[in-house]
Amino acid sequence: MARVRVDEELCTGHGRCYALAPTVYDADDTGHCLVPKPEVPDALLEQAKLGESSCPEGAITVEE
Amino acid sequence: MSDNQTRMQESLAKTYELATRAFGAPELSGPRATATPQSMYAELTAREPVRDLGDGFYSVLRMDDILHLTRHPDVKQASEFLGSDRPAIPLGLDGPEHTKYRKLLDPSFTAKRIAPLEPTIREQAHQLIDRFVDAGKVDAYLAWCEPLPSTIFLSIMGLPMKDLEDFLHFKNLTLGNDPAAGFSAEQRIARRGEAVQWIQQYFDRDLEEREQEATPRDDMIGSLLSTEVDGHRLSREEILDILGLLMIAGLDTVTASLACFLSYLARHPEQRARIVEKPEILPSAIEELMRFESPVAEGYRKTVKPVELPSGSTLPAGAYVHISWSAANLDADFFDDPQKVDLERRPNRHIGFASGFHRCLGSHLARLELVTAMAVWHERIPQYRIEDGAKLTYSANPRAPHALPLVW
Repeated sequence: MARVRVDEELCTGHGRCYALAPTVYDADDTGHCLVPKPEVPDALLEQAKLGESSCPEGAITVEE
Repeated sequence: MSDNQTRMQESLAKTYELATRAFGAPELSGPRATATPQSMYAELTAREPVRDLGDGFYSVLRMDDILHLTRHPDVKQASEFLGSDRPAIPLGLDGPEHTKYRKLLDPSFTAKRIAPLEPTIREQAHQLIDRFVDAGKVDAYLAWCEPLPSTIFLSIMGLPMKDLEDFLHFKNLTLGNDPAAGFSAEQRIARRGEAVQWIQQYFDRDLEEREQEATPRDDMIGSLLSTEVDGHRLSREEILDILGLLMIAGLDTVTASLACFLSYLARHPEQRARIVEKPEILPSAIEELMRFESPVAEGYRKTVKPVELPSGSTLPAGAYVHISWSAANLDADFFDDPQKVDLERRPNRHIGFASGFHRCLGSHLARLELVTAMAVWHERIPQYRIEDGAKLTYSANPRAPHALPLVW
């Protein structure tokens, strides 16, 4: 299992994470990143990493 | 002159000076006026990633430095006044006041709230194309790129379409800050003042009408009128300032983007063919064209304390800083083969919508407009090229060919 961490100070709501990897990332009411299930099974690891690498602010970290 | 008017004049003068020092030299402004400035940016970034332009003016080109600056608490907005003598909301603000307004506004501009606008955007895009599709030629900038965001804006704001011509006229007056237009500083300020007054009176009349109505209308202005954070609602003055900013931030930017994209695709038929064959790549293609073209080329900031940059330099307190989104989007440390256009590039962490505190509020709306409009264009006019012999000249910021003669 991997764990997704979002630095809320860095997230400014670009929304690339939930646009590209909606199976792992969602949007809150203001369009900032929300991760309903931070513990990510192997099947969703690629999606989790896609969100991580797509964030212009570098706000997401996937810890394996 | 009031205090605010003095501040506004100083702010406009400083940012104009900054823009001129940063990219006024012919060897830099020349490439920027063409369709292909990308290699100039790459070369400049490699040679001088932080440029001391003298007298406290600086130019920063690297992605890491720009990300650092735009999220730094000691770095403020430099272009605070975008037309009137009250700071633009929220672009002209910083710190807790800025956060307060972003919290109020963000909910109205999320991807979810924006999505239902797609049919309106489709309809407007089609209607404009109806007027010229059979002619086999058009100045796409004048006939489509320029009016389309304004027709969408009027639609979203529940304003009458018959006002489009007036609206475009005064909108253009508001935004005349292009050094190439040749106006003196006094002339620019006077034109802007006149235009902003007209626009605010125009919106004010609409807000007066709405005040007489029992229930708020179900549109963007209705949403702004009823939005509330910590018991705070927007005052009439705040709404006028916000609407003014939405106009400045949401019209010419999208126009420039559409024009840059059409120009690129007109000159690269093999890339255009891929979009026509597989329209589902459009969202990704739009991101890549945003990165490569960076229609909003730059932003301006000022430091209130010394700021040490990741690349090693330190900017002093009181520095005026030119931030190049264009250069950052071509940074080889953040993008593989950045000079190559890969319409399915993944990942693509560009900052064409800015970064940090002032990340574009309208980015979701912009993306929806761009993807939808480009889909409609290619459904109606899949083959097109630039008219033989036409020479394209691009404005500096937002960057766009202000005449785009296409034939099909």
